Amino acid sequence: MSTSTYIKVCAGSAVVWALGLLFVSPFAQAVEGLLLLFLSTNAR
Amino acid sequence: MKLFLQIVGLFALLLCVTLATLSLKHRGADGPSLLFPGGKLVSGELHQGADPDWSFTDQVGTIELETSNPVSSRRIFVMESGGKIYVGSAYMRSMLGRLWKDWAFDVEETGARNAVARIEGVRYERELVRVNDPKIVEGVARKSAMKYAGGATPEAVAQIMKQVADGDTWLFELAPRSR
Repeated sequence: MSTSTYIKVCAGSAVVWALGLLFVSPFAQAVEGLLLLFLSTNAR
Repeated sequence: MKLFLQIVGLFALLLCVTLATLSLKHRGADGPSLLFPGGKLVSGELHQGADPDWSFTDQVGTIELETSNPVSSRRIFVMESGGKIYVGSAYMRSMLGRLWKDWAFDVEETGARNAVARIEGVRYERELVRVNDPKIVEGVARKSAMKYAGGATPEAVAQIMKQVADGDTWLFELAPRSR
């Protein structure tokens, strides 16, 4: 993947991801659940 | 190799976007989300008068706890023992704990002990008092193991007590406010 294409993919993904977190509650809750699982597994 | 690094970079970016977005989304909100702190607890009846029989919290998984400096709130386990209620903060000696459980450090370092607990929609004004007395800790550890670790086996209780004694877990009583 060329650098310019990669930057476009990153920017697009970040925008879609952020909008999903802001406006799709089940998606945000699922992502938070995964983060919580990671923290409770690795915070030692 | 380049594609692998690009994929790793994309995941790292999405993790940063997630942390920033959810943190901003919940900052100042009336209560926390599952993981991210919220702001001041505003809604819900403010309890007046004598303390209730806290044993009802045995049926409550988590409560919302607001601390005062800085004003923020989070979801937290609650344990009733001997007619009093307690909250804990684990992972206190790890780097992730330092980031994740900053509220407990703030309470200890600033001395701002006033807190508000919202339990089943009712707000209770309380004061956070650190507990280290082994007799009290044992009762709380027993309840914590029973509620959250699948049973109060001697091993589970001893492990929690050791975590408190070692400073890995900090225990606070949600005591009535002294002033």
